Amino acid sequence: MNGWNPLRHHSIHTHIAIAFSCLILCTTALLSYSTYKLSSDAVTHNSLEYTSQLIEQVKVNIQTYISNMESIAALAMRSNDLQRYLKQNEPAFVKLLMKKQVSQYFNSIVTSRDDISSILFISDRGDEIVSNREHADFNSIAQIKEQDWYKKVIGTDQAYISSSHVQRIFRDEYRWVVSISRELPATDDTIGGVLLVDLNYKLINNLCKQIELGKRGYVFIVDPTGDLVYHPQQQLVYSQLKSEQLDKVLQTWNGSMTLGEGSDKKIYTVDTTSFGWKIVSVTYPDELVGNKRQIQYTSALWGILCLIAALAISIVLSYALTKPLKKLEMNMKLAERGDFDIRVEIDNTNEIGKLARTFNIMISKIKELMNQVVEEQEMKRVSELKALQAQIQPHFLYNTLDSIIWMAEMGKMEEVVDMTSALSKLLRSTISKGDELIPISVELEHIHNYLTIQKMRYRKKFTYSIDVDEDIGNCQILKLVLQPIVENAIYHGMKHKPEAGHIRITGKRVDDDIELQVIDDGIGMDSEQAGTLLERKVASKSGNGVGVVNVDHRIKLNFGGAYGLRFESELEEGMIVTLRIPLLRLEDEA
Amino acid sequence: MRRGWTRIRLISVVLLGVIAISWAGFSIVSHELSSGKTTIIYVPKTIDPTIEFWQVMRQGVASAAKEFDAEIEVMGTRAEVDVDEQIALLQEAIKKKPKAIILAATDYNRIVPVAKEIVAAGITLITVDSGLNGGISKSFIGTDNTDAGRRTAEILRMHVDSHAEIAVINFVKESATAMERESGTLEILRRYGNYTLLGPYYSNGSVQTAYDIAKSLLKTKPNLKAIIGLNEPTTYGIGKAIQDLKMQSQVVAVGIDSSMGEIRMLEDGVLLATVIQKPFNMGYSAVKTAVEAIDGKRVSPRIDTGSKVITKENMYSSENQKLLFPFVE
Repeated sequence: MNGWNPLRHHSIHTHIAIAFSCLILCTTALLSYSTYKLSSDAVTHNSLEYTSQLIEQVKVNIQTYISNMESIAALAMRSNDLQRYLKQNEPAFVKLLMKKQVSQYFNSIVTSRDDISSILFISDRGDEIVSNREHADFNSIAQIKEQDWYKKVIGTDQAYISSSHVQRIFRDEYRWVVSISRELPATDDTIGGVLLVDLNYKLINNLCKQIELGKRGYVFIVDPTGDLVYHPQQQLVYSQLKSEQLDKVLQTWNGSMTLGEGSDKKIYTVDTTSFGWKIVSVTYPDELVGNKRQIQYTSALWGILCLIAALAISIVLSYALTKPLKKLEMNMKLAERGDFDIRVEIDNTNEIGKLARTFNIMISKIKELMNQVVEEQEMKRVSELKALQAQIQPHFLYNTLDSIIWMAEMGKMEEVVDMTSALSKLLRSTISKGDELIPISVELEHIHNYLTIQKMRYRKKFTYSIDVDEDIGNCQILKLVLQPIVENAIYHGMKHKPEAGHIRITGKRVDDDIELQVIDDGIGMDSEQAGTLLERKVASKSGNGVGVVNVDHRIKLNFGGAYGLRFESELEEGMIVTLRIPLLRLEDEA
Repeated sequence: MRRGWTRIRLISVVLLGVIAISWAGFSIVSHELSSGKTTIIYVPKTIDPTIEFWQVMRQGVASAAKEFDAEIEVMGTRAEVDVDEQIALLQEAIKKKPKAIILAATDYNRIVPVAKEIVAAGITLITVDSGLNGGISKSFIGTDNTDAGRRTAEILRMHVDSHAEIAVINFVKESATAMERESGTLEILRRYGNYTLLGPYYSNGSVQTAYDIAKSLLKTKPNLKAIIGLNEPTTYGIGKAIQDLKMQSQVVAVGIDSSMGEIRMLEDGVLLATVIQKPFNMGYSAVKTAVEAIDGKRVSPRIDTGSKVITKENMYSSENQKLLFPFVE
């Protein structure tokens, strides 16, 4: 238990899918957010830029109007007719004529331009008025002269530009205009007065009204005294239902500022004309945000679409990645149930492919080993059978019985008894079933009986001795392994030797093993032939060595490849057969 | 099998999540796109373009519509007195299923049934300038006429000695507006000074009738110092009578509402003062209130848009110029 892991019970497929999904989710969210951020910044920036360009345009237009008016005023002032009209000493009829001409001149200007609503000259003495309308019905001089455009221009050599106002020159006419006025100072021979040019307010109104700054944004114009020249909701401002931060606007020459809090937040962008009017645009950041919201939705939409696609891909991909693993797992399950004929077919060269190949190799190895085990078991069984057969060779039995008969005819009763009892013991120990493993002492007893019989049969042919350490007497040995070796020594070593030979059986402990040796001084064989003795699987023509090979085989099968028989021999010198088995005491078995 | 189920469950959960997220996203986007503007039908007393009052109110309506992102449809009768046609228009308006109707009722009582239909149809009803009997509308936006009436009397207090005879000429008895104005005027006249009150007389909103009443008063009442007219035609008739009898030095007139004729009279000193309303503000506030009511905000049942006393002295102040000479294209 290494902590709580919520994914512990889920498959790799799930893990990969979840990991991919998380990764994609984070990436998409991050990308969408940054896209939104960048675009919204761009939108804000662009709209501010756009706004300032727009009011710059308004400013240029208004400046053009005003400078046109100024140049018209200058033109009118310099006109010869007006100059002559102003001369003090001219006779009355000339003055009247000049007045008419000036009036016509003014009229020609006003009719040729739709931005000028009226031009008028009012003298400071004599209270004479000359306007573009020859026979106009004027308001009282006092009423006219109390207007700002007259009062404020007296005594200055600067042109006065009024705010928007209702012009009160003509009776029953209330036109909205912007007035520009200029004083013509009196000289020695001319009278002074004020020249007025009225700009049709409609122009400014239309110019500002058409400007679209989002849904709620608008433009207003304020003159340097804080008087609103244009405002789309001027009446609301006057009624205090609305307010503009005019003091802050008036302090700003050019630039943007954000005023107000929350939903009342407005961005004021101010630009100032050469004559002091401030063009102010009011935009609502909320609306930019409205625009931003669209971006938000767009980026969210694309984010979601990408997410869907990516999630689908991640599921497919994780499935594709884990599919070979699943296949491998399924095959392993089959192997678990004992089917070793399977092969995992995975063509990948990646880790899973390698794993599959290793698995295939492992499975085939296991299969091979299994077969080997089966084969070995089979061989063991056959060898035992052979060993059994080797003991009771009928030929040996006939010969022995013949010998007994012969000895009985000869009247050698004592020898008959010896031989018969040896044969009896031999047969008993051979036929007796029981364990495959027996104590060495029992095996030696058996050999003793066998040699007794053989020695009687081949009288004077050989002698024998058994010289085995007492302490290994109760160690385990495979049943009937010594007899074929001894038999071999008699038949191949002694039988063909002219004089009597000697067979010696020794046994001792060597390290953790036991070595038994059958040493004869028979005719032997050359060492080369002795070395290849065990390689003969099939008996040679003379049947030489079949039993020995079988013995070696049985030992190796029971105790492993390190044990078995070893042959050392020289021609005419005899032979040493060494039998090596592990040291197994009887108690160990118990 | 269990593992297979787990996988199917996981995939379906993921897919469901994705579908849910995308559905939410799409619905927000589509909501944003589909949620159109607030539709409001504006029914003035008249759509006659020569009547400045309604033109200016319409400017106020348009200005607020832009500011509050509302879509305004104007449905109005040609003549201010056409009550039946206005009822028909309102029935048509109900069929268009707007979110709100802004109504300047041409009749205090006769419009009430159709107004009830509007409310029953679940449409927010806002009345402007002229309200309805029983206060059916969610809010009434207009001049406080009682207050306007008071102002006509208050301005006289400073110009007429306290024992003067003062005549009041109202327009109609049946109009709530007229009665409110009258009560305001009379309230002040009775509260201050020892004025001898003549009237109230009723001109039926006719210049000629007002002129006749004023003329006979001017001729028969030597102590008459002032005449108050409670609407524009009445005031104009009074002024005309004073002018014609050349009695402007002895008798002054005070009126309500303005017209070119009245402005002239103000400049000529015939008219001492006139109390003017603020139609732009009415139109603006009506839309603003309608939008607020649609949004479920609490709105005041009565919104006073205020009035202003205009005299010869203050008529050209930059503030009053806008009220007196509205810039109408």
